[in-house]
Amino acid sequence: MSIAKASGFEALEKLMSTEPPVFLAPSSISEVARTASRYLFEKLKPFNPKSPFDQLLVDGFDAEQIWQQIDLQCQPLLSSLRQDVKRFAQNPKEIRKLGNLALKVSHEDDDVDEMDMDDDELEATESEGDEEEEGDEEEEEEDDVEEDEEEKSGDHEGIEDKFFKIKELEEFLEEGEAEEYGLDYKNKKGVAKRKKQNLRDDDDDEEDEDEEEDDDEFGAFAGGDDEEADKLGKARYDDFFGGKKKETKMKLKDLSEDDEAELENQGDVKLSTHEKDRIKLQSKIEQMEKANLDPKHWTMQGEITAAKRPKNSALEVDLDFEHNTRPAPVITEEVTASLEDLIKSRIIEARFDDVQRAPSMPTKAKREAKEMDDSKSKKGLAEVYEDEYVRQANPAFAPTTFSDELKKEASILFKRLCLKLDSLSHFHFTPKPVIEEMSIQTNVPAIAMEEVAPVAVSDAAMLAPEEIFSGKGDIKDESELTQEERKRRRAKKKRKFKAESAKDPVKKARDDTTENPKTVTGSEER
Amino acid sequence: LQSPFSSMFPSKPFPKTLIRHQHQTSSFIASPTLKHSRKIKMLRRNIRLRKEYLYRKNLEGDERVQYEKKMKIREALQEGKPIPTELRNEEARLRQEIDLEDQNTAVPRSHIDDEYANATENDPKILLTTSRNPSAPLIRFTKELKFAFPNSQRINRGSQVISEIIETARSHDFTDVILVHEHRGVPDGLIISHLPFGPTAYFGLLNVVTRHDISTKKAIGKMPEQYPHLIFNNFTTQMGQRVANVLKHVFPAPKVDARRIVTFSNESDYISFRNHVYDKGEGGPKSIELKEVGPRFELRLYQVKLGTVEQNEAETEWVIRPYMNTAKKRKFIGE
Repeated sequence: MSIAKASGFEALEKLMSTEPPVFLAPSSISEVARTASRYLFEKLKPFNPKSPFDQLLVDGFDAEQIWQQIDLQCQPLLSSLRQDVKRFAQNPKEIRKLGNLALKVSHEDDDVDEMDMDDDELEATESEGDEEEEGDEEEEEEDDVEEDEEEKSGDHEGIEDKFFKIKELEEFLEEGEAEEYGLDYKNKKGVAKRKKQNLRDDDDDEEDEDEEEDDDEFGAFAGGDDEEADKLGKARYDDFFGGKKKETKMKLKDLSEDDEAELENQGDVKLSTHEKDRIKLQSKIEQMEKANLDPKHWTMQGEITAAKRPKNSALEVDLDFEHNTRPAPVITEEVTASLEDLIKSRIIEARFDDVQRAPSMPTKAKREAKEMDDSKSKKGLAEVYEDEYVRQANPAFAPTTFSDELKKEASILFKRLCLKLDSLSHFHFTPKPVIEEMSIQTNVPAIAMEEVAPVAVSDAAMLAPEEIFSGKGDIKDESELTQEERKRRRAKKKRKFKAESAKDPVKKARDDTTENPKTVTGSEER
Repeated sequence: LQSPFSSMFPSKPFPKTLIRHQHQTSSFIASPTLKHSRKIKMLRRNIRLRKEYLYRKNLEGDERVQYEKKMKIREALQEGKPIPTELRNEEARLRQEIDLEDQNTAVPRSHIDDEYANATENDPKILLTTSRNPSAPLIRFTKELKFAFPNSQRINRGSQVISEIIETARSHDFTDVILVHEHRGVPDGLIISHLPFGPTAYFGLLNVVTRHDISTKKAIGKMPEQYPHLIFNNFTTQMGQRVANVLKHVFPAPKVDARRIVTFSNESDYISFRNHVYDKGEGGPKSIELKEVGPRFELRLYQVKLGTVEQNEAETEWVIRPYMNTAKKRKFIGE
């Protein structure tokens, strides 16, 4: 047993001394780890009456199975520890009592170990415990939080339902904050738990000191531990910058180990913000360097064919193309309404873009469609021939036909129109001289005209007697006149002549023409 | 090889021997069946017409230059400025021509307008058909289009070749041939080809809603087959006017009191086709009740060719270029 213990302890020491990266690589350290874990298991077994295993079965089991065994042992432990913590929170004085009791108890069991342990070993166990039980811590935290949830669920019944629990929200937030601020939070808890264990395990004076220190620290953390829902809300100077004793411990550790190993191994060392930032930055740098060395993601590889990327991976990526064409129009209600408005306005205006029928130019003039008269002709055929002959021979005598009259009327109208147009359009317009229509009336006896075929011209005069001679009173011929009448006429003549010559001194030529030339002819004729 | 123009208008008269030779050859060809010779005649006629068309197109360049010169002289005369020096030699002749011009001859004619010069004299006659092996929805859509375009006929495509279709259409005096294409039942292409060697416009169809999509017969109601009034909105550029012309001459001239309206509205190069029937609503003369009838779709022009569908080597008047960097900013049909 003692040999086993010794080997176990050595194994622990060895584990502690190795660099953390070695753990990641498969190496002989696994055997050492197994023995160390077995040793620890045995240590904890007395506190766990319900433990199913007497000792940790390590040979031939893989990591998962070993872990399961540890887990089985630890689970009930955790709950009992939690209850103890609560009790202590309420009655801080009990701690000392228990501590002494525990020390005594453990002292009886494992003297050797306790003796050998000094600060380093304490730290080693702590660190060992830390490594092995980080998972535990997280679980502890979760369990704690779950317990808290169970306890305090009654407070927020109105808001919470099966999907939303304020406790879970707070837990999530605190986890985030814990990540942000580093290992303090975890260490805090881990420290508390481990301190408990150490209290039970160790019972030396040094351990007393530790105890006291632990107690101090414990006292410092007391408030934080108690109020598990509000841990970081009451962060104190000590949390970040630690108490004096912690600093001394840290210095000791600096001498022996690397900074990183220390960080990993010592949960209770407080780092400055600068150092935390530096650590974060370095981890980021490492990540980025690693990413640079790895092969790139397919989206960053330039031209990719479907064979080179994983199946259906293009569906997950948000593809964006620059389209050169305008997108097709989506016909919405508004578009239709605007179109209909346009159509209505066009209808009201009656403004259409129809095809206009061009009126075709006639290639020939239309034939005059003469209407044929059906009625029997009034004129006999001989009369028709007569008319034609007369028109030919003597156009003046021929009676005018209907069409001739129409033509005359048309020509008269046209002349009038032309006159008006000329007066409007011509700058130097002079109206045409009015031509008096002179119809020549020949002094042919009427009978000559009336005869259809005038063969001879008769003596009867065409003109009326008044036209021939107009005079008043008793008209006598010269042969009928008496002497006195002749004298009277001559005297009249003379008087007239004298009157005219008195007016007009110039002698005029005698005017032979008389008023009525016809009278002369008429008288001549007689 | 003589160029076609010089053969049409020879500078010197043909020598007699040549004519005799030609006679001999023609008689040799005409000796087989009558049908064959008629085919050849048609072929030769088409070739001749095409040559004339090309010749007139060739002259356009000169005509345009002359027109520009006349414009310059006219402006100079109007403003009282001295005539530009480069026109001094031709000034007298051009001035004479200007004096003799009337409204018909003053405007320079382009071959583009010639295509529709005779279109206004008669009602258009349209032949509607599909691509090969059409699906049932496409056939239904084509039937709807037959009602939408007045004076049109639908034929089954079967296994006819495009050139056959065009030839039969030409011989039966059709003025337009419209082909409808599809993708898995959804109509996605429309080709309007004006027949006597007229232009062909290629459209893509989007957002097609057919009458058959709307569930019941009662819901969609009847569709009148009147000659409709047309509305063209936002066809402002030259290309836009050209497209509007192509679409316009598919429809005949309507009566003044027609109650049916077909609308082509352009919005950033997407042309919306709508078919409505209207009634005077209650509430005064200014209120109008519109009822949508007939299929509705968006047209997207992607090519205009200066020949019929069958002529593969026809010149492209305009083609869409979406790959250019400025394609997003440029609008070809409107605004």
